Amino acid sequence: MFQLSSFVQKAQSLIDPANFIIPSLTPSADRNPSKSSLFRQQFRLPDSQNPLHEITAELALPVAPPSSSTHGERPRDGDRPGNRYAGQLHLSERFLCFSTQPTSFLPSASFAVSTSFTGQTHGTGPSGNGFTVPLCSIRRVERLHSLTHVFALALTTWNGALGRHPSSSAKDPPFVPQRFTIQLMGSRQACERFCDGLKKGLREAMKEIEDLRVVVMDCYSEYLLTGGSKAKGEEPDRQPPDAGLGMVFRYPGDARKLRDRSKMRLWAEYFRENGRNFTLIRQPTFHKLIRVGLPNRLRGEIWELASGSLYARLRSPRLYHETLSKFDGRESLAIDEIEKDLNRSLPEYPGFQSEEGIGRLRRVLTAYSWTNEQIGYCQAMNIVVAALLIYMSESQAFFLLSVLCDRILPGYYSTTMYGTLLDQKVFESLVEKTMPVLWEHLVKSDVQLSVVSLPWFLSLYINSMPLVFAFRVLDVFFLEGPKVLFQIGLAILRINGEELLDVQDDGSFISILKSYFSSLDESAHPRSENPKLRAVTRFQELMVVAFKEFSGITHSTIEELRAKHKDAVLENIESFAKRTSIRNLGPDSKRLSVEDLGAIYDRFYEVLYDHEQRQKLLAEEKKRHEKKKFERFSVQAPPPDAEVGRVGLGPSSTQMDYDAFREFLAATAKWAVADVRGQAWNEALSEKNRQLSNQSSVRGRSKSDLKLEDKPEPADHEFMQRLFRNWDVDRSQGLSLQNVVNGLAHLKGTRDIMNSINYFFDLYDNGTGQVDREGILGMSEALLFLSRRGFDGALTPSDLPDDSHDAPLSPYDREQKEDTKLSTDERFLGSVSSFIRRCFEYADPSHLQNQESTGGGTTVDQAAADLDAFSIGDDDDDLIEIEDWPNLLPAQSTSKSASEPSNPTSPSRAASESANAALNPDHPLHITLPTFRMVVLADELLEQFFESFFPQSFHLSDHPHPASLAPSSSLSSNLTTFTNLGSVRSQSFSSNRASVISGATVAGFSGGIVPPNKGLRGVLDNIVSDGMRMAAEVRKKMEEAQREMERNALGREEDEDDEDEDGRGLVTSASSAAAMVGGMSSWGVGIYSIDPERRSVRERDRDLLEGAEAASVVDGKDVHYPTGDAGGGDRTNDHDSQEVRSSRRTSDSVNRGVFSMVEFDS
Amino acid sequence: MSDSAAGSAQKPSSSVKLVLLGEAAVGKSSLVLRFVNNDFQENKEPTIGAAFLTQKCPLPTRTIKFEIWDTAGQERFASLAPMYYRNAQAALVVYDLTKPSSLVKAKHWVAELQRQASPGIVIALVGNKLDLANDGSGASGGIATATENGVPGPETDGDTSEARNEEQESATSDARKISTREARGYAEEEGLLFFETSAKTGVNVVEVFTAIANAIPETSLKGTRGGGAGAGQSALGAGRSGDDSRVNLGDRNAAAARDGCAC
Repeated sequence: MFQLSSFVQKAQSLIDPANFIIPSLTPSADRNPSKSSLFRQQFRLPDSQNPLHEITAELALPVAPPSSSTHGERPRDGDRPGNRYAGQLHLSERFLCFSTQPTSFLPSASFAVSTSFTGQTHGTGPSGNGFTVPLCSIRRVERLHSLTHVFALALTTWNGALGRHPSSSAKDPPFVPQRFTIQLMGSRQACERFCDGLKKGLREAMKEIEDLRVVVMDCYSEYLLTGGSKAKGEEPDRQPPDAGLGMVFRYPGDARKLRDRSKMRLWAEYFRENGRNFTLIRQPTFHKLIRVGLPNRLRGEIWELASGSLYARLRSPRLYHETLSKFDGRESLAIDEIEKDLNRSLPEYPGFQSEEGIGRLRRVLTAYSWTNEQIGYCQAMNIVVAALLIYMSESQAFFLLSVLCDRILPGYYSTTMYGTLLDQKVFESLVEKTMPVLWEHLVKSDVQLSVVSLPWFLSLYINSMPLVFAFRVLDVFFLEGPKVLFQIGLAILRINGEELLDVQDDGSFISILKSYFSSLDESAHPRSENPKLRAVTRFQELMVVAFKEFSGITHSTIEELRAKHKDAVLENIESFAKRTSIRNLGPDSKRLSVEDLGAIYDRFYEVLYDHEQRQKLLAEEKKRHEKKKFERFSVQAPPPDAEVGRVGLGPSSTQMDYDAFREFLAATAKWAVADVRGQAWNEALSEKNRQLSNQSSVRGRSKSDLKLEDKPEPADHEFMQRLFRNWDVDRSQGLSLQNVVNGLAHLKGTRDIMNSINYFFDLYDNGTGQVDREGILGMSEALLFLSRRGFDGALTPSDLPDDSHDAPLSPYDREQKEDTKLSTDERFLGSVSSFIRRCFEYADPSHLQNQESTGGGTTVDQAAADLDAFSIGDDDDDLIEIEDWPNLLPAQSTSKSASEPSNPTSPSRAASESANAALNPDHPLHITLPTFRMVVLADELLEQFFESFFPQSFHLSDHPHPASLAPSSSLSSNLTTFTNLGSVRSQSFSSNRASVISGATVAGFSGGIVPPNKGLRGVLDNIVSDGMRMAAEVRKKMEEAQREMERNALGREEDEDDEDEDGRGLVTSASSAAAMVGGMSSWGVGIYSIDPERRSVRERDRDLLEGAEAASVVDGKDVHYPTGDAGGGDRTNDHDSQEVRSSRRTSDSVNRGVFSMVEFDS
Repeated sequence: MSDSAAGSAQKPSSSVKLVLLGEAAVGKSSLVLRFVNNDFQENKEPTIGAAFLTQKCPLPTRTIKFEIWDTAGQERFASLAPMYYRNAQAALVVYDLTKPSSLVKAKHWVAELQRQASPGIVIALVGNKLDLANDGSGASGGIATATENGVPGPETDGDTSEARNEEQESATSDARKISTREARGYAEEEGLLFFETSAKTGVNVVEVFTAIANAIPETSLKGTRGGGAGAGQSALGAGRSGDDSRVNLGDRNAAAARDGCAC
């Protein structure tokens, strides 16, 4: 049940790209914006606010003394004094909001449901008439008693009281506190509940009053009404607050022509009647005053108020300066970019020719780049901020910029400029809809509209129109939101429509608009008879057309169109980002085909995205569980990861950690997929310490399992860790796309056996060009790990060594093979075991002497001797160590037995002793690359493994690079030294192999082996038979070794008294040896080393085998798998193994079901 | 409106769409300003989106009218570039020869254009800010001729790389970080026109455009587009009129008087 729902969740999140990619819109999904985000949008509140209570209410304002003829939207004339507004009262954590505007959200909120709200705001902006007051600015709330059932509250605010100096209060005119009443309309219970919430909020808000005072004192309105009035008579006791560079360098435009003084008077009057800054009540006059253009000194403050950045500033009044000092002296790319543009931001304004202005600009842009590093700095921000700084202080501009980038114009200045591109599409479709003739003409003459309109939107017309007019647009823009940009843009085209219809190319299109912009201050109707009409400027005409003719363009229109075009825009960006980042991957990437690179790119970001989604889900789940007080789970859950895989943001510097890397590998190579069955067993059986050490990954796995049923579950193996470390060239504990591509390019780029052998060796090379004992064992483990899912015939056709490759085999050998029909997998096991043996042989030439004396296993030793001769000549290091080897400690004879089991050909005591010598921890040994190469090339299967399987097992796209497909001429040409050895080698080793095989077959058949390579059954059976045969073989060896050891122990004084604890004999020896033995026996059964890590590895492997066995039994009995597409090719194989896994899942569903129920459903 | 006075009206005239690409602040806009208005501004406003300008370039047999799209350089504007290089017949990929990273970026652009732009686009690689290099003589013009083997030097940021000394005998306080040889080698490899210019002093600027005009194959030339051909000169991003420092309309006459490229 749980699994199903999580699957659906996952599917939805994949289907809905809204979740994906658009990180910059509101944090939650934006196709169905949450109620809280709509609430915040409407009232321009900070992200921390949520709608807690709401109730229908009526706002009653006291009658205004001078009673300027304001008509409310719903004026109630006659019986009552003052204006009354019916609307909705909302309470959030810190704010009390009232609006006459129908809310854009319903309790069950989504756009689909709230059809009643058309988005039409009639110029009042989404917050309509009413107020948005922080709770801390409410001084007193009284409940008014009335005879009727009316439930009324009287609110008294701090309006005007905060700035009052106690000393000067006497001189002031009698202070009348702002007071208004609200009638709640609802059931008594609802009213009570609302009041309780309010009471709680008010109590909480008390502590914020000091912040409020600080912010209020920065408001010019406060100065205007208190300090300013006094400045006329006596000496000014208060400096006016910073109202931008304009105070020093003059504001743009002619103040007289702008009628700045009378506007100021009107505003002062409005403030007196309706409160100022935080406690301002919006009445229709407010919006009208904004439409006619703000007075210079109040402009900044009203922008803040209308956009809501004032509330952000209240929340953290010191953030700006703190940010600056926190990052003082630090450098960043953004800062470099900012520096380039400082001298070229509104350079014609005198303020920006001065150090003062430039300094302010630098500080604001820098501070913002630190608070939002994802955006950093985008050209055009310099122009916008420069414009803001003319009218507001640095801190004000900083907060307004934040609100602008994060909320009003999300994605506009992001690294892909997603928002800008999207809005261009929206604009184009609006033009098409509203001016079809013009649109058709533009299309016909191949004029790209966005080429013209993009700078309008990006720099908010500041760079397109003369400044005075651009600021008028901004006045409305901050009040009513982004739709204003569209309305203005449409109006520009409409007004110039006729001329534009004559246009044939971009050039003339641009120049028409240019000359239009330069004539905005001219009369719109210069030849009109009517002087009043003649006085109307082109700009006024523009405003009228924009807001009257295009009043139908509402916020919801824009939202709908954005949703409609989002996918296409994202796709474009994505493909561009992909193209660019692939192209810029550097020379190494050229070794891979473009398709491969594309596959890597997609997979890389998909994994990152999935990973991130999972983290998010986990975090959510954690939260949910915490709420329910399920501590066990919450303790286990990892902290929500802050890392963001920003698929849509293109080539960012996102890195994948090891866990994500495992997922990446699992999607790339079959061997990197975990065996689910083994996992379950593992979890059930593993020791505590293992759990501790592996906790995070195990946890992640079990959860990912629940979340992503359709995803292959990544395995975890030392080999993968090595791969990770090897690719992580800059040691950042994370892989960038570049790292992954380089890693794969080196591995797959040239299909050359030497290359992949070197590559493999490098993984185990500790930096000295040598691989020590530990490494050799690790290598062999890795070989088994890599091969445990079979060789995937489709991937490695050459890997079936039957006739073509085995041609030089001896007749005997061939006979053997035909008899037994062994699978490649089985034979590979033999190869690996001889690999280990040879590694130790050639790492330690002294061994040779031992063997000669014993005379056991003649053919093998003969070949070994031949090869050895070569290796000695090749590598002097080994020679040096020879001297050390004769001093064998008898005690070590036990430990050899651990290594012995894997070597089926030399069961003799002498051979085991020699292996023992190799394991002697007192004599560090190593192999070098030439030795390793030789050992690999000595075995046909290993050779093929490195020639084709290993590089090919990393499956990227279906179109590999031609170079990597070219048949390699590697072996013979690269290693001529071996050609003369060829016959000996093949002969001796094939006989060696044959004996392995025959031995294995017996064990395998006795364990119920089934002829392999029969599709799904074959795969399964391979696993089973491998395991069983190995187990049998190992057991046999162990017994032999133990018997031998017993015999030896009799004659020796050393410490092995306990026969079945041969591993323990190593406790006394160096830990590396212990670990090694553990590693050696990791595919054996029943031998435990003391090293917990090793032990767990071994156990996991064993579990794997047993699990496979169990599954096969089920399979044999009654489970019928869907046969699926049995068509050839690697896909089938993948498919098969998937099914195997799913069947295993079924088979142990009981077990796992219990786990998940306990963990998640509770 | 005015170029007919240059006497080139009789010659066949064709328009060529040219796009400028390159890292931020390498001087793309300045190159255009120099070419179109023979002017230079120290503090040129950053281009938002793109600016559009036109200029005629008379050749002996015909007149080329360049429709120049001057794009924004900042990395994140790169995703807008396809909008501008769409249908472009020529491209100027500009780097700053005092800034190694800008050549890397230029190479990216070249690769992008070679794959995505219209086939047969004429690309010129231009190293700007030659005035900052001491060896002013290093200015090279014309299509790169293959004498040196064109192995680009290592792109280390280190300024003491030996590879550079070869070309620069006088290494005294030289801001140059990318040798002519290195860049030319690369240009040859990719089959690009190559120039080193200074928008500030005007060195080689006109030559770049002339070389491009000459390199445009006759067959790919279309006739002049009709309409307000002459009036099309204006800057998009730096768009406010009435402020002649940034708007090119005001300088129209000066440009016309200069009459395009002196070739």
